[in-house]
Amino acid sequence: MRLEVDIASKTFKNAAGEQHDVISGVAFALDAGEVGVFVGPSGCGKSTMMRILAGLDRDFQGRVSRPAGARIGMVFQEPRLLPWRSVEENVRLVAPLADEAKLSALFEILELNAHRNHFPGELSLGLARRVALARAFAIEPDFLILDEPLASLDDALAARLRDQIAMLVDGRSVLTLLVTHDVDDAVRLGDRLFLLSPRPARVLADLPVRTPRSARGNAEIAAIKSDIMRRINDDLVERDAS
Amino acid sequence: MPRLLSFAVFLATWWIASLLAGDAKLPPPPTVLTAMIAEARSGALFVNLGVTLGRVALAFTLAMTLGAAIGYLMGRVRLADRLGDPWLILLLNLPALVVIVLAYIWAGLTEVAAIVAIAINKLPTAVVTLREGARALDAALDEMATAFALPRWRTFRHVILPQLAPYIAAAARSGLSLVWKIVLVAELLGRPNGVGFEIGVAFQLFDIPLLLAYSLSFAAVVLVIETLLVQPFEARLSRWRPRAA
Repeated sequence: MRLEVDIASKTFKNAAGEQHDVISGVAFALDAGEVGVFVGPSGCGKSTMMRILAGLDRDFQGRVSRPAGARIGMVFQEPRLLPWRSVEENVRLVAPLADEAKLSALFEILELNAHRNHFPGELSLGLARRVALARAFAIEPDFLILDEPLASLDDALAARLRDQIAMLVDGRSVLTLLVTHDVDDAVRLGDRLFLLSPRPARVLADLPVRTPRSARGNAEIAAIKSDIMRRINDDLVERDAS
Repeated sequence: MPRLLSFAVFLATWWIASLLAGDAKLPPPPTVLTAMIAEARSGALFVNLGVTLGRVALAFTLAMTLGAAIGYLMGRVRLADRLGDPWLILLLNLPALVVIVLAYIWAGLTEVAAIVAIAINKLPTAVVTLREGARALDAALDEMATAFALPRWRTFRHVILPQLAPYIAAAARSGLSLVWKIVLVAELLGRPNGVGFEIGVAFQLFDIPLLLAYSLSFAAVVLVIETLLVQPFEARLSRWRPRAA
């Protein structure tokens, strides 16, 4: 199970007919069990890239080879739950074969057991995001795409959810892509960190993190973070100079 | 309780109006009730109501099924919209009478002609409403279904259909009222039975109690169907929506 990506460019036309470059060169490969994290400023084309990698957008220059038949679990930036189905029905809809024991365990980890019969309209954003995570994990994906799953949550909740994601990702060998603009999340969750430039997006740096997730100390995390910040600033300086 | 009250107000207004206008023009409620009971005793009331209801059911089902399918297609496929739009405008603005008369001329004074004519009158409004519904479908949820590789039928049943449900309910509601009206015209013009036929007879004999007896029985049936079928159905469809205070 291996994902190979080489997107040369992606452009789209806006309503006024103007062409916009969204991606200008993103190439990488990831293996099963690896968590690739994309860090970049807001609006740099990360979500567009995830849509391409999930096969939702085929209008681009380049090549994406996903293993045939890979089950994709996706968490979109907004929870995208069906408002007319309960929490449990939302999860079961995509994973009709999931057995009760596994679902229970999943709901337990994400602390959703009390909300099984609620409708999405009755949930807070944080809960809805957890349901979206539960849905993506319930299908036991080979390929997991998490697009800003922690955005706009308060710090304490985001930290808890991050630990829950780490636990779920370590629980099974799955190829994971995580998009975030939060460097802290990136360093704590990723095996490979891809720094993206502002739009049109290209990969500024590809940083592997070799220490296992659970063993990363605060000092190491701080060191990687400062390295990332330095690289992002260097890019800014370069841009200003040119 | 408010419903009973509004019914009482209706009866009182009717009675007062009949006192003012005179029995000949507007018979009071008891006279009409007597006529209604006489028709019910002979069985004619139930036969005619039944026949009319049957026509309504057939025409309504036909128009809703076809209209929903065409409307969905036109909302989803641009080419279908472009091709179908002129026909839709034509049908929308074609008077019911023209359709009914032509159907009777071409297909004879038959049951099929009547039902098809009624259905054609209702069809375009169902198409327009469902087309609007199909246009308003949430692309984000479509993407979700695609990303999770949901099979087509599951997507349709759980993702698409619930989004169309309010539009289907609206089309059903407006369509039903349209069909109720047109079915009587079709019966008046070319059927030997049904509420419309009886009203035609009552009109020719100037039998106002009979006319009102049929009209009100018919209205009662419509009200019962609305209360027992249409409204509970709508309530069930929207049970996931947070209730208005």
